[in-house]
Amino acid sequence: MATYDGLFDGLGLRGWCDGGGAAAGGAEAPMSMADLLAKAKAGEGGAADAGTWWDLPIPSLNSLHEACAAIPQTRDLTLGLERGFLSARDALRVVLDPLTQPLSWMLREMIDLMVATPWFIMLPLLLALTWFVSRSWRVVGLVALSLGTLALVDHYTEAMQTLAIIFVCAFICVLFGVPVGIAMSRSDTLQRIVTPILDMLQTLPAFVYLIPLIFLFSVTEPKLYGIAIILYAIVPVVRLTDLGIRLVDRDVIEAADAFGLTARQKLFRVQIPLALPNIMAGVNQTIMMSLAMVVIASLVSAPGLGVLVLRGIRNLELGVGLVAGFGIVLLAIVLDRVTKSALARIDASKARH
Amino acid sequence: MKNPVKVSIRHLYKIFGDRPSAVLPGVLAGMGKTELLAQHNHVLGLRDINVDIREGEITVIMGLSGSGKSTLIRHLNRLIEPTSGEVLVDGENILRWNADQLRGLRRKTMSMVFQKFALLPHRTVLDNAGMALETQGQSRRDYEAEAQKWLARVGLGAYGARYPHQLSGGMQQRVGIARALTSNSGIMLMDEAFSALDPLIRTDMQDLLLELQSELHKTIVFITHDLDEALKLADHLVILKDGEVVQQGEPQHILLNPADAYIEEFVGDINRARVLRVRSVMSEGAGSGRYAGEVDANDNLEHLIAVSGGDVSLSYRVRHQGQLVGSIDMPTVVKALVPRRVAA
Repeated sequence: MATYDGLFDGLGLRGWCDGGGAAAGGAEAPMSMADLLAKAKAGEGGAADAGTWWDLPIPSLNSLHEACAAIPQTRDLTLGLERGFLSARDALRVVLDPLTQPLSWMLREMIDLMVATPWFIMLPLLLALTWFVSRSWRVVGLVALSLGTLALVDHYTEAMQTLAIIFVCAFICVLFGVPVGIAMSRSDTLQRIVTPILDMLQTLPAFVYLIPLIFLFSVTEPKLYGIAIILYAIVPVVRLTDLGIRLVDRDVIEAADAFGLTARQKLFRVQIPLALPNIMAGVNQTIMMSLAMVVIASLVSAPGLGVLVLRGIRNLELGVGLVAGFGIVLLAIVLDRVTKSALARIDASKARH
Repeated sequence: MKNPVKVSIRHLYKIFGDRPSAVLPGVLAGMGKTELLAQHNHVLGLRDINVDIREGEITVIMGLSGSGKSTLIRHLNRLIEPTSGEVLVDGENILRWNADQLRGLRRKTMSMVFQKFALLPHRTVLDNAGMALETQGQSRRDYEAEAQKWLARVGLGAYGARYPHQLSGGMQQRVGIARALTSNSGIMLMDEAFSALDPLIRTDMQDLLLELQSELHKTIVFITHDLDEALKLADHLVILKDGEVVQQGEPQHILLNPADAYIEEFVGDINRARVLRVRSVMSEGAGSGRYAGEVDANDNLEHLIAVSGGDVSLSYRVRHQGQLVGSIDMPTVVKALVPRRVAA
């Protein structure tokens, strides 16, 4: 006797319900813990709750199923999703595996390279890179101090692994994100299509990215966390490239047209240079977001400082977790300052009146 | 003796809206701006424009904001496509041209100067000046000399390595003019080129333009909302109102013979003595009687009044390029200063 029996009887669907239930097979889904508890409670015979309107259950799939066997339970939905995904998995793998294989390769090589190179070569190289990008001794000093601190507390290797992952992932984000942003800026239709996808990528909780990926790829493959980081971090660079190009002064665009620039000339000589401050702001955000994700990705075997944070949580090693967390903050400050000073350098040479 | 026609605008219509071609027949049949907006929700931008732009002259298109003047100038290089009509450049209808031909026109035949300068903020002044040549595929080494030459000509020879934002508004517009000149195009389109500048600088720039023009004899189409500027620069003046040409012709002629009350009101506030020239008011042929002296045909009346010391009994002989061309007496001058009224 279920609450909604009356509904189906009233609609004259009783026959369909029972027939469907029979056709769906005698294999009733296994009893859930909640069902068991309810049964036990009913067995105690304490409650006369069935009749009062106050306890009317919400008309969910589960409570409707009780009245009509033809309606699936919610667990059938999740099960269906899982089965569907698993049956599509092999086909997806055939396509995705070779496509993403270079990512695994890049991540592995980059991590090896940055860890295997002796520190007395690697650190000066990183400082030289900082100088090249920022042209500011203050920023170089900050980087030297931060990396020095990390090395001093024996977190050098982990920091290099984290940096290697971020370099590779941010590079790929820019490689794909900027062209997508440019395409979006040129077509309103494409913008309308891509924007909801970006919204979704941005709002999905970081952990959710990992779920389908774990089923698709082997956990030992670096591309597993690489894809998760890229999907999560590519959003700002796409958005800001699109925005930057759309914000380019209309008068300048009109002048470019009036002087007979081709579409390509206009893009490379006018639009991209003028959008560069915005694009760089996007790159900055992308790098910061890949840093955030690389910590979470340590759940699926991404090496680096995140592993230590995770160890801190799992083993309740307070000190280990805190030091590694502090190391991540240091890296975040360094990456942010370096990209921001690069941005400032671009802005200064193109200041508007 | 008139110069040949360089650009000719024939029966040009521009309607803004979702389906301009659908409402065009109604407009051709004489539907007005307000009716079109009320009945079809389309805006009549330009209506039956016919203008001949002569080679080597400055044609000024003048009108208040919303009169369609900026829309009109953008039809000349097809930054805006017309709904109907023809634009003939050297006799060819450019509206039939494909993208390549059009790009060639914009690169080599017509250059443009903009109200808000529209320089490339990330390129140096020299690169900006050489933009037209760079667009045609020249490297900086190729265009540098030419760009530098025109920068020097507009008085910015020493500023080539600066960036536009380091320059004042007037200097930036000089770069804009140098950019247009460097393309060596025969036609220059100037869209309110001096409107964003303060009055003193604007006068300087007008003088610069006239000086350049006396040397280069370009075909210039100049848009402005400023009547004084229009009268100073124009060889041929076109007055637009609500997307229609109200009157066009020689500026002095328009001043002395306003076509309707609108023009009359328009020219009512200007200093006629400064704008009107002796040649427009004098009587031709050698007159008789005593002359107090000689004046040039291109002197303005203000000058003549100053010469006469305000004595209205005097007469003057008029010379033009050494020839005696006519005579003028002071009562005529005073009469010319009274604005004409169109018989209502």
